[in-house]
Amino acid sequence: MQLKRVLTLRTVVATSAGLTLASSSFIAAVQVAGFLLGDTAWIAILVGGVFCFLAAACFSELNGLLPTAAGIRLYFRRAFNDQVSLTISILYMLIVIIGVVGAESCVISSVLNEAFPAVPSYAWIVLMLLAVTGMNIRGVKITGIFQDVITYGLITSIIFFGLIALYKVNFQLNAPLAPGSASGIINAVAIGVFLFVGFEWVTPLAEEVTQIKQISRGMMIALGILSVAYALFTVGMTAVLPKETLVHSASPQVVFARAVLGDAGVLWMTTVSLAATITTFNAGMISVSRFMYASAREHVLPAVFKKVSIRFFTPWAAIVTLFFIGLVVAGVTLFTQRYVMLVELAAAMESIVYALTGLAVISLRRRLPDQPRPYLIKGGYLVPALTTIVFTILAAAVFTSNLWVLIYMAVAFLICLVYVNTTVPYLRKKYQAGKPAAKRRRPVRTAKEVEGKYE
Amino acid sequence: MATHEEITDSLKVFTDNYNKNERLKIMNRDWDRVVVVKATDVESRHTMTLKDGVVSLKEGASDNPDLTVISDSETLADIFYGDITPTEPYNNGTLRVMGSEDDLIRLDFISLLIWGE
Repeated sequence: MQLKRVLTLRTVVATSAGLTLASSSFIAAVQVAGFLLGDTAWIAILVGGVFCFLAAACFSELNGLLPTAAGIRLYFRRAFNDQVSLTISILYMLIVIIGVVGAESCVISSVLNEAFPAVPSYAWIVLMLLAVTGMNIRGVKITGIFQDVITYGLITSIIFFGLIALYKVNFQLNAPLAPGSASGIINAVAIGVFLFVGFEWVTPLAEEVTQIKQISRGMMIALGILSVAYALFTVGMTAVLPKETLVHSASPQVVFARAVLGDAGVLWMTTVSLAATITTFNAGMISVSRFMYASAREHVLPAVFKKVSIRFFTPWAAIVTLFFIGLVVAGVTLFTQRYVMLVELAAAMESIVYALTGLAVISLRRRLPDQPRPYLIKGGYLVPALTTIVFTILAAAVFTSNLWVLIYMAVAFLICLVYVNTTVPYLRKKYQAGKPAAKRRRPVRTAKEVEGKYE
Repeated sequence: MATHEEITDSLKVFTDNYNKNERLKIMNRDWDRVVVVKATDVESRHTMTLKDGVVSLKEGASDNPDLTVISDSETLADIFYGDITPTEPYNNGTLRVMGSEDDLIRLDFISLLIWGE
């Protein structure tokens, strides 16, 4: 039996890489460079990529064991319990919305402001969010061949800019293996994780491919390509411009593009940034709105999010809510300009989820030892244990380098915990109370019928 | 464990209720899909074919489905009789649906419109 619509490895790679490519990635790349001496940012980026390989291996095993669009919601539920799974899933979605929308809005408005200074920054965000909301409500997805073209176009552009820059300055590595202090390296790698945020969001496609291993292969290839592309681009940026100039800009990629190719570079980079932001907003809105719909169906979020468009079969109430949340988050971020904090927050959250993923692999090997695993990580518990340890250290590094990140994360965690322990039971109780007296439709079989069937 | 006949009966009830619902037929008139329903614990496979908004049922699995719904026989019978929503078994891993996420939401929504909460 073969599904009619089967995704190819090329599209799986494009989807995985496409989900991580965002305009705010350039901010993270510059932050990584800022933590290290000289032109050694590539070390932290490659190390971050290698660590993400560990997490990808864990996701691959979990995805093979439980192939589902529900992702970590199901993995953590089976590995730990419903409360942990709910708390982490809601927290993750919350931080991802706030972190990615906030940082992305700031970067893209700065990019567009350079190209069209007469138009206010916030107007761009409203326009883009409106466009993405419209696309989402109509069920328009950037998938298949479009996803391939956009992602591979973005990656090629990033690599091309990096190489041109290195060629122009006749680049030579100076002290390539002297990145500075250990704490600087750890912090750089921790922020570097942001560059790969979302590569695992390709796992819901598990239900659209014929071979589960394609998902793991696709994630690994995407991570490899991204690591090289980001490393080249970041080294190119720091080779052409002083780090101080880059760190203090909300659109370092445009400053860099201008330095490399003049106005043509600005135009090109503006197009690249626009494509990256639109795909990020679109993919984020699709994932989070589907999560909200599914959560409302299991009475975890208010029933209003169950509303589906009769015409387009999309969860319009969740999509419209996300539009307004996006407007508020973007407005606050543009006003405060604290986008770097959001990048750190998202990097820390991602590290926490990856650390828990390692634990989930260990837990499920004990709980479901006999269940078939199309992808089994070799080396026993080594990789999942390493994943947990490494990402716990990286999350701790982000928290210690900026205590505000720890405070915001703790507050968000407490809110989610209280919500799961008070509002969720209330919503479930309300649903039970409002439900008509249970009337089983399925006929009850008599003992004689049951015996007859098995004689 | 439910029997093959019970799953067949549940699917008949589901398709009858679907075909009686004019609103659903209009909404799905452009959504031509082949859905295979497969039990994991008994030998039971069915194919539901949606064409021009109308659904038909036959025993056996189609070779080329758009969606494949896989679960144990009890869960399948309960879902198609509308005694439980698909969300709970889906989220705890008992129910697997192979196919696109959008088709999955539509299938869930159809079940919501037929059976309510």
